Amino acid sequence: MMATKRKVAKKASIRKQTAGATTAVQVAKNIDDVRRQLKVLCDDSKRIEARMAALQSLGAAAFSVANFESVNTEYIAALRQVSTDSHEQLRRRALGILMRNKDGFAQKKLLNGLKDPAKALLPPEKALQLLGNDVHAEAYSAARAIVKKPPSQEAKREALRLLAADAKSAPLFEKVLRDKKEMRENRQIAASALNSLNPEKLQQQALKILKDKSDYADIKATSLTALEQFGDDAALGKDKALMRSVTRFESSKTAAKYKQTARRFLSKHSQ
Amino acid sequence: MALSSNATRAVSEDEFACLVDLLAADAVGSAQLTDLLHEEHPVYDGRGTATVIRMRGWILLALARSGLSDQALIFVLEELDTGIDAYLVAAAARALRSYVQPNKTFAPFVGRALNQIRYHDEPLSFASYGEYTTSSTGTSAVSELLATLAWLGPNARAVLPELERWRAEHGLSRKLRLDLDRALQVIRGPADGVPSCCGDLPEGRNILIRTSTARFDSKSIDSIVMQDQDGKLLKFAEFFSGRPSIVVFFYTRCDNPMKCSLSVAKLARVQTLLDAQGLARRIRTAAITYDPQFDRAERLRVYGKDRAVRMDENHRMLRAVEGNHALREYFELGVNFIESLVNRHRIELYILDAAGRIAVSFERLHWDEEKIVTYAVETLKEKGRW
Repeated sequence: MMATKRKVAKKASIRKQTAGATTAVQVAKNIDDVRRQLKVLCDDSKRIEARMAALQSLGAAAFSVANFESVNTEYIAALRQVSTDSHEQLRRRALGILMRNKDGFAQKKLLNGLKDPAKALLPPEKALQLLGNDVHAEAYSAARAIVKKPPSQEAKREALRLLAADAKSAPLFEKVLRDKKEMRENRQIAASALNSLNPEKLQQQALKILKDKSDYADIKATSLTALEQFGDDAALGKDKALMRSVTRFESSKTAAKYKQTARRFLSKHSQ
Repeated sequence: MALSSNATRAVSEDEFACLVDLLAADAVGSAQLTDLLHEEHPVYDGRGTATVIRMRGWILLALARSGLSDQALIFVLEELDTGIDAYLVAAAARALRSYVQPNKTFAPFVGRALNQIRYHDEPLSFASYGEYTTSSTGTSAVSELLATLAWLGPNARAVLPELERWRAEHGLSRKLRLDLDRALQVIRGPADGVPSCCGDLPEGRNILIRTSTARFDSKSIDSIVMQDQDGKLLKFAEFFSGRPSIVVFFYTRCDNPMKCSLSVAKLARVQTLLDAQGLARRIRTAAITYDPQFDRAERLRVYGKDRAVRMDENHRMLRAVEGNHALREYFELGVNFIESLVNRHRIELYILDAAGRIAVSFERLHWDEEKIVTYAVETLKEKGRW
């Protein structure tokens, strides 16, 4: 509880600092403006607010791909340069832009950081999130290692999100989905991943979850939605044990939105 | 200096770079360097796409030093034709300049590469293996391509109008403008005394035709189980025997629009041509995924539909539910994986005869739809002769 409060306070403090330190973003009108902003971005003697504003302005200018053509290589070089800057926020933004362009330099830095925390430019959860921009990044083994031995819950959550595109991770998601001790958000991620990777397995697990009296209401509601949207309607309608479980769920002391999900399911499948 | 599969599979990137350097320095190493460019080579097993890019880039740069052979030429042209990574395109452009002589058939490849890469060019360094530069003062893909156009000289006249248009756009940096001006000057220059070759591409072409007696039978994969876009299960021999078929390989997560997406869209055009000639029921078509674990029936259907692919009993999107490894071996597919995900693949299309044997294969470069139909019709005419 205390840890959560501290985290919320820290986030609010970061927001306050960022808001309080706003520097007006100069819109680059021509290539000379862009070059000036590239200089500001790379100049570590400048205030961080000015450098962040320059980065924002450059991002806007880069949006016009044709006009930006003549400075694109300089922009990438500058982003790579500041991605190892001492200021974390700047590193985070620069690596984010680079990873959205599937930059090999950024990918290598982030992977090295996951393998060796002493080299990490960002916290593991952020690194994993950015690596998730490129399905071909070689991040699956690092993500699996983090799921196995997570440095934090956030890192584990992001590792699971990343593995949601890995066909070989379907058994891992089955395990996470059925584990009642697992964080519920992780179980939701597992349900969604399984639906993408192996929908039949999700259907099987969803049936088991709905028939399990001790499982949580939100997980049951997710399972119901999965069955309702993707299940075999004829088979579901004939499953009396399932209908009894859903009826019990609908009449239990659970949130109205979950009851509604159950009612919708029953009205669709009751014969 | 023999390269065994087991020896290369486990090498580190640094060891790989040393090996490539040694081969480049060896008078007989060129063939082995070319061998390393085959996507299915075990050295690429289990490596990520970025690593594969670094490795292949280093081989291309080694070829640029040792001289580009006829056998390796096709790999360079492939990179220019379909590459979207600045490092590989730049390395390919540099390697092409080490070919024995300029050839006017190269110009469209360089022109296409320039069009592909100009809006996402990158600062590059070729000084050491796997180096990423943080300075924009060195080379770049566009810079290397312009140098290659200058090397081609008057042989690049086919792309002159395009270059002149580009010059008029004012979208270039000062440095690249100078490079372009230099290239334009040489291209416009006199052709006298410029060594060239004309006609078809030199050795290392991308079409392989097998006569009926030289084809391997498909016994090893006849019973593998495949699933189509509607979830229907069928054996390889059920679909691929009785009539000739045209087969392309692809996967839905390919992020190179010049490869899988384009191949499948071109297959749809082949289907239209077959239909126009009344052959849609006599010649089958199939698009088979490299990534059967992820590309489930629903994904195949949507991917095909989005690219206007005709899907019915004679035309299917397929995945191997069982026997994917055997399928890879039978077609000798140019693909490799990191875990379940493709890390690199070539473009490949096959025409199978009515016994499911490979009659014609098109590899690496974009194929012409009409040519495919012509070859398929020739294969159809063989019926009864096998």
